[in-house]
Amino acid sequence: MSVMSAALLCSNPVSADQDNQGNNQGGDHSHGVHTATPIKHLVVIFNENRSFDHYFATYPVAGNPSGEIPFKAKPHTPKVNNLANANLLTNNPNFTNTANGSGAANPFRLDRTQANTKSQNHAYTPEQEAYDNGKADLFPKFTGKGTAGGVGAFGTNGQVMGYFDGNTVTAFWNYAQNFAMNDNNYTDTYGPSTPGALEVVSGQTNGAKNIVGTSSSVPDTQGGLTLNGDTDPAYDQCSSATNQVLMTSKNIGDLLNAAQISWGGFMGGFDLTLSNSNGTSGCARSTVSTNVGGTITDYVPHHAWFQYYASTANPTHARPSSVDAIGHTFAKNGKTDPANHEYDLEDFYAAVKAGNFPAVSYIKMPAFQDGHPGNSDPLDEQVGNVELINFLQTQREWNDTAIIITYDDSDGWYDHAYATPTSASYDSTADQVNGAGLCGAGADEQPQPLGLNGKPVNGRCGPGTRVPFLVISPFAKQNFVSHDRISQASVVRFIEDNWLNGKRLGGGSFDATAGSIMDLFDFDHGHNGLGFGNQTNQLFLDPNAGTVVSAPDDHHH
Amino acid sequence: MNSRILWLLLWLLGAGLLCTAGAVSAVETQELTGTNPNPVRLVRPQTAPLSAMAQLGRQIFYDASLSSSGKLSCASCHSPDHAYGPPNDEPVMLGGPAMSRQGGRAVPSLTYLERQPNFSIGPEQSDDDNIVGLAQMAALGQQTARATKTATQTTVSAVNIVPQGGLFWDGRADTLQDQAMFPLLDPREMDGGSVEQVADKLRHAPYAESFTGLFGVGIFSSSDMLVSEAMFAVARYQIEDPSFHPYTSKYDYWLEGKAQLSESELRGLQLFNDPDKANCGGCHLSRPTRDRMPPLFTDHQYEALGAPRNAALADNRDPKHFDLGACGPQRTDITDQTQYCGMFQTPTLRNTATRRVFFHNGIFRSLQEVMDFYNFRDTNPEKVYPRAADGTVQKYDDIPAKYEANVDVTDPPFDRHPGETPAMTAQDEADIIAFLKTLTDGYQPKP
Repeated sequence: MSVMSAALLCSNPVSADQDNQGNNQGGDHSHGVHTATPIKHLVVIFNENRSFDHYFATYPVAGNPSGEIPFKAKPHTPKVNNLANANLLTNNPNFTNTANGSGAANPFRLDRTQANTKSQNHAYTPEQEAYDNGKADLFPKFTGKGTAGGVGAFGTNGQVMGYFDGNTVTAFWNYAQNFAMNDNNYTDTYGPSTPGALEVVSGQTNGAKNIVGTSSSVPDTQGGLTLNGDTDPAYDQCSSATNQVLMTSKNIGDLLNAAQISWGGFMGGFDLTLSNSNGTSGCARSTVSTNVGGTITDYVPHHAWFQYYASTANPTHARPSSVDAIGHTFAKNGKTDPANHEYDLEDFYAAVKAGNFPAVSYIKMPAFQDGHPGNSDPLDEQVGNVELINFLQTQREWNDTAIIITYDDSDGWYDHAYATPTSASYDSTADQVNGAGLCGAGADEQPQPLGLNGKPVNGRCGPGTRVPFLVISPFAKQNFVSHDRISQASVVRFIEDNWLNGKRLGGGSFDATAGSIMDLFDFDHGHNGLGFGNQTNQLFLDPNAGTVVSAPDDHHH
Repeated sequence: MNSRILWLLLWLLGAGLLCTAGAVSAVETQELTGTNPNPVRLVRPQTAPLSAMAQLGRQIFYDASLSSSGKLSCASCHSPDHAYGPPNDEPVMLGGPAMSRQGGRAVPSLTYLERQPNFSIGPEQSDDDNIVGLAQMAALGQQTARATKTATQTTVSAVNIVPQGGLFWDGRADTLQDQAMFPLLDPREMDGGSVEQVADKLRHAPYAESFTGLFGVGIFSSSDMLVSEAMFAVARYQIEDPSFHPYTSKYDYWLEGKAQLSESELRGLQLFNDPDKANCGGCHLSRPTRDRMPPLFTDHQYEALGAPRNAALADNRDPKHFDLGACGPQRTDITDQTQYCGMFQTPTLRNTATRRVFFHNGIFRSLQEVMDFYNFRDTNPEKVYPRAADGTVQKYDDIPAKYEANVDVTDPPFDRHPGETPAMTAQDEADIIAFLKTLTDGYQPKP
């Protein structure tokens, strides 16, 4: 950490070798950019709808039923704050609290054959109610009511208490064994996908502006709106025709643009000119998942982080002028590139292969691989994540790359770790975590956080739910679990600290208060110093089984 | 169909050739082979050895001790030798403690459900973060025009805002796991008693050890969970075991260019997909999906067809009793959506030729009777329905008069009127039946 502190202190002016207009040579310009750490490439894989306990409840001990590939933990695996270690697998308050009715249940293992489950209720208010003022004992009652899932899906009373283990989320357990994980990471507010997507790029959900119809939002008491649900981004060609919202705050893309640092949002299904093997194209491009037994539309507008902001949106899904232009504001000829930093996931692969690996990349898998129950599942999610991570580990740039895997929301799945609100909100109907109309200790004792316009606003009740957070990098500590409190906005903070000399977004963004993720790295040792191609730098996995293999099978990309 | 294409088809059919159905988009001449001129590569479900979960499910599927009579298992009514449908020619199966109670409806097949969509009104919503309720969708459906269903316009009718999907004739379960609970506990079927009673039997079953291996020792402490897991295992068996979705019919191999249809079968296929003839393909989709999956021969939508009342059913001794499908009595959540009264889900036609009872009340005993119903319901109803004492034909005698407007009179061939020429000749019907027999699994293509 001493190296880190020193690096942060010396806030050098940004180096001259940057993404200036017209200077993009198509090479890896990111290497010349000054960074506070050795990391020159950050890849944020933003998955969907899993709580920490839902994936790590018994880590590192898996059920290992006969007939399934066993998972065996490494010696000296650190303890994590999960259900097993908190002694909550039996006699759980969600089982003993009779208010849960027939849904009352103890946590239970979900088998690999049950990867396809129903989705739980993950709205802003029911998630607060499930936490029951910290007792975390009303999940079956409030979030345990979801949609059916596919015909082969598993569902039961109290299903919200279900968790997977290393026999299903095998890849993530293996990454945790070989790299670093945080077990104290939260969504910045309660609620579903869109608030999470906004937090991880801006740390702010206040400043919502309805463009078409209404939005899923809370009146902020200052005459504005705070988005607390899923509403499609305004003007996006693929958005709902009846409800669209625009966010008026800044996001990290604005700061990266101002500093001329290359970056992009890369989403499955974003390129409307492509056709999938089933002949679908445009906004309706889709992929079959045999696991969920259906055909799933690849692009989900309400997951599109940067499409919510006028400054970083690409509403028509315009294509970049060339592979070299990906990540850059300007094309080689000096003209503004039409893509405006928003691309398809295929563009990410193409750019990296061409030696044009952006400094900051946000990744959203096509919906069948995004992890969201109902349209995806842990096995499809694993395929998408592992293929990408295997690919990145074979690149020349791997030696100065860090991958973060984290989530937009918990889906409402049970997680025992309640966080006392640090961001208060007192909407009389929406806020319920500490009592009716209460998220926090009361407005006198604990005022709401400041909104976009510098005044206290409602609708930002948080921290919300605990979700997984892994770092895969040559600089990640090995088989390490950090317990530092962090949140989605910590990703924003890391980018600011690494590339922008600690500049903050302002306007009430959580980036100013979010914890640091630096505990996950060791820039003196880590895996590094061993050179590219050294085996301890890399961990190749089988995309389907999630098990360790000696070399990647690059069959897709 | 425009006259030029019709002429071309007649010419081709006269020459004993091919048809334009299924994936066949272009008509071209060829030798007298009966093969598909445009073969496709079908994507069948992946197969793998049964998981431990599915193996447990198989044991439960065949376990008759879960019934009060000790004689009924899932496999009794969903017979593996009869495409997981009923093994006999009774309109409904018998169950209960003495095997003497009639079941509520004809037993549907358990095959080809691995792609079954959830129940919805209008196309299934992919985004579960913004759920629009059934009632709201039903209201929208009433304001929205419904496209007429023809075999050549199925992509248009696919977005009709009408009930679709789910399991059973009325779609009241969405997952195979939930579905399995109904016959298990139905007093007229397996009559398993309560969840507690079923759980107790599972605790002492010869396969009880499998539960602890898969779900941990705590599994026996919660009856709810134990039965849920058991029913999921049954569902998983159906999902994994290829016998529930083999796609090995002559028609599948014909689609792939590996089998030849006879002249009669080809004619039948053509009539099946001809909007001016049988128009079966308007609902019983016959072409592979855009993902190259084999056709399921259903669009999963609901229809009120007005099949005749079956006097052989004990329930029907009560003249006030009507089985109205989607709006009850077995399904109870949308009973107020009376525009759906009398509607039942369109079943797959795969393996239909192996069945000996047809429609929800088992009124028809042969494919010939079914074809006659479609052919004569509107032109010659006296051939389909009984006459009252005064000699009048009792059309729609199994639907209360106030719901008769729900019956489909727009989709061909149900758009005809008394005295008009029926859609099909006797030869047409025979050819269609010949084609339906190509949908039976287990065909061995010549190498």
